[in-house]
Amino acid sequence: MSEQLLTLDEMKQIDECINKGFSIHSVDENLSGMLIIFKRHEEEVRLQVLTAEARKYFAAKLQEQMQL
Amino acid sequence: MADLRIDLAGIKSPNPFWLASAPPTNSGYQVQRAFEAGWGGAVWKTLGEPILNVSSRFAAVSFNGQRVAGFNNIELITDRPLEVNLNEILETKKRFPNHAIIASLMVEPRQEKWHEIVKKVEAVGVDGLELNFGCPHGMAERGMGSASGQVPELVEKQTHWAKEVARTPVIVKLTPNITDITMTAEAAVRGGADAVSMINTINSLAGVDLDSWNTVPHVGGKGAHGGYCGPAVKPIALNMVAECARNPLVNVPISGIGGISNWQDAAEFMLMGATGVQVCTAAMHHGFSIVEDMIDGLNNYLDGKGIASVMDLVGQSVQRYSNWGDLDLNYNIVAEINNDVCINCNKCHIACEDTSHQCIDLYTESGRPMLKVREQDCVGCNLCQIVCPVDGAISMVERRSTIPPMTWNERQSLLRNFNR
Repeated sequence: MSEQLLTLDEMKQIDECINKGFSIHSVDENLSGMLIIFKRHEEEVRLQVLTAEARKYFAAKLQEQMQL
Repeated sequence: MADLRIDLAGIKSPNPFWLASAPPTNSGYQVQRAFEAGWGGAVWKTLGEPILNVSSRFAAVSFNGQRVAGFNNIELITDRPLEVNLNEILETKKRFPNHAIIASLMVEPRQEKWHEIVKKVEAVGVDGLELNFGCPHGMAERGMGSASGQVPELVEKQTHWAKEVARTPVIVKLTPNITDITMTAEAAVRGGADAVSMINTINSLAGVDLDSWNTVPHVGGKGAHGGYCGPAVKPIALNMVAECARNPLVNVPISGIGGISNWQDAAEFMLMGATGVQVCTAAMHHGFSIVEDMIDGLNNYLDGKGIASVMDLVGQSVQRYSNWGDLDLNYNIVAEINNDVCINCNKCHIACEDTSHQCIDLYTESGRPMLKVREQDCVGCNLCQIVCPVDGAISMVERRSTIPPMTWNERQSLLRNFNR
């Protein structure tokens, strides 16, 4: 998968989690990029975000969530 | 015509172009000829206890047809008796009372030595002093020049000693042979400096002769490290000027030095915080008359911008020079190729394919070879535009980001607050 397609896919997964009512619970930057844990009540989704552009996109989404 | 006069820490000159302390300012004959040619000031080649020089002394680095892209020397301070220099300064000042004459000084790090030379030099009417804490070769091995200039405590102490007796403004000339020039600039200010100048030359070896295996230059088969200057060092000097200009603890005027070859270079240094500039290598390469183009070019530039005084340029770009962490991560530009101008040399494609992000595609349209940027993969690195030999064939254009601006520092702060 090209980097651009991977980026789009990762951004889509972030959006999907948020649209389904998950909120960002924790984020850990590691050697592979960024591990995000989304939570909705007791339900948990772990997303490893690899691409730089998607990590930038995630930061914007986190900012939105923190301002809500 | 704009007003080109400058006032650097009380030292006035009819224009911002001074000759730097170096071979062009070795004697009254030269400085007077320079003033006749139009230079606004001169920093007299460094005075101190006269030394002995070697033969040969200079070397140049040429690159791809460009002669003297860089310049290297192993010449030390003046080899002429102090009294001779002082008589010629007196005579030159009488003939050119409105031009700036600054004496560059270098002595051992002893209080009485600084007091003695400052008093003697000021007695002949110089407009200011420049303490040479910068030369990297020869004198440094005797504890002077950059040997002093690399130790903030010595810069502060010796500046203080000079200031104890000085009646004219004291400029401290700094060495670039140091990790962080703001440390020594701050030390100079603590010592009472009225201004700082930068940069002196950079430690260097110009080359090795592949036939004789001698260094370039060599003195009877032996070489030594020298000081590097000329156009090649300009970006290094400009950054050091900018770092000092934006440092609130370096709250004194800056005299910019380092590879300044034309009026555009001078304007860049002034925009980045220099109150005036000092030139050496370009004058050594082309002669004193280059100042005519510098004056005309700067005048036309200021007139074109509607700026009445060159002093209004000083520091205008400093606020735009920041830390990497304060840059917007979401600002986007991409390359755009104008196929009507492109000559299909494919240098952009090769550069992008081999060393960047593989986003320039080759294709054929109506039998004609074409190049196109895949914008979604372009990171806006500028490499294609840099290697393109045709002006206007590649432009870098802004693409509005879908996400709001955020700097690295803002992002890290956001993550820290979230994880707290």
